[in-house]
Amino acid sequence: MATQPDQHRALIEATYACIAKWGPRRTSLEDAAKAAGVSRATLYRYFPGGRDELFEAVVAFEYDRFFERLLHAVQGAKTLETVMELGLAYAHRAIVEHEVLHLVLSTEPELLESTFSQKGVTTRALIAEFLLPYLELHELREGVNPAEAADYLARMVLSYMGAAGRWDLSDPDQVRVLVHDELLGGIAA
Amino acid sequence: MPLSAISPSVLDPSASNRLKLIDAALLCIARTGASKVTIDDIAGEVKCSRATVYRTFPGGKEAIFAAAVETEVARFYSTMAVSMGRAGDLSELVVSIVTVSAAYLLNHETLNAIQASEPELVMSRLRFGEMDETLAGASAFAQPFFARWLEPEAASRAAELVVRFILSYLTDPDPRLNLEDEPAVRLFVDQFLLPGMVTTSTRQPLQQRSTTTRKKGRSTS
Repeated sequence: MATQPDQHRALIEATYACIAKWGPRRTSLEDAAKAAGVSRATLYRYFPGGRDELFEAVVAFEYDRFFERLLHAVQGAKTLETVMELGLAYAHRAIVEHEVLHLVLSTEPELLESTFSQKGVTTRALIAEFLLPYLELHELREGVNPAEAADYLARMVLSYMGAAGRWDLSDPDQVRVLVHDELLGGIAA
Repeated sequence: MPLSAISPSVLDPSASNRLKLIDAALLCIARTGASKVTIDDIAGEVKCSRATVYRTFPGGKEAIFAAAVETEVARFYSTMAVSMGRAGDLSELVVSIVTVSAAYLLNHETLNAIQASEPELVMSRLRFGEMDETLAGASAFAQPFFARWLEPEAASRAAELVVRFILSYLTDPDPRLNLEDEPAVRLFVDQFLLPGMVTTSTRQPLQQRSTTTRKKGRSTS
């Protein structure tokens, strides 16, 4: 029998798989428990709040996994320009190709709300913290405070990830223009 | 905007029933949040019957709320247009957009009440596809003002960047940057936003610019 933390994780992963297959509306707690190989009673022991709590945990789990992958994707970048370009291009592609995200957005977008509102500020701070060393290594325009610039860039990265607006972020040339001219124009020397 | 300023039309005999009911709804939402407001509350504010409310808005509460959003967006845009029209250069334009929209939105009692009781109503407009629509709408409105100093495509991008900036700092405030503090905003804007916009100080050089500043095309979405 799986140990306790494994059951918790198994329930989240199994529920994610059910949502991916059937969509959130047609995923029942029975489906999730069955897919995880546990009883309904066990499911409620981990998620006493039932569907709301379980689904929220699934969204939070996938949210964290998304940003872990994003950080991993940009690990090798040497310069501020490269890390921004790689990160925006990767994140855009990962969101466009994230079928489960689009399934949830088209059926029950409110499932995302609590995770996004709870984690947004922390995520912005994490991205800023990640960008700061790149800014410290880069020659900056006069008067630019690296920490302030990192925070501004983190906000803009999140904004372009959520909505590309006028930009085609699947086009590397456009990503380069966005990063070099628009975002780093006032920052990089 | 203080509560007393929300519903000037409620006591104005010449205002249409439609506008009175919309302003009454805004006032009611400001007190309790959107979900608790009833048709009776709105009727009571205007001192009319439920039947009058339904005659004016056959769709009931939902229809009044939709009309209220539309009216408030129009009021917001008209305030913005006045301040954007006064800007003497690109820096002034961006600073006025940030400070005026922040002063308007941060002090909007109805919006604040919704943010406190039903934040998802606002935040859901700022995610993914909905965010694209919000960005496109707001940027298209601001674009002609930027086009006084920028080529059309650069103006569209600049407008979008400013909208992104405002939405980020309004929804996730930075304690170091008070959006209503004009000198602080000007420092920030001149440092971080303006250099990214392709600037010229007068209209005339626009025609002389080489196409290199336009760089690569863009998606039409």
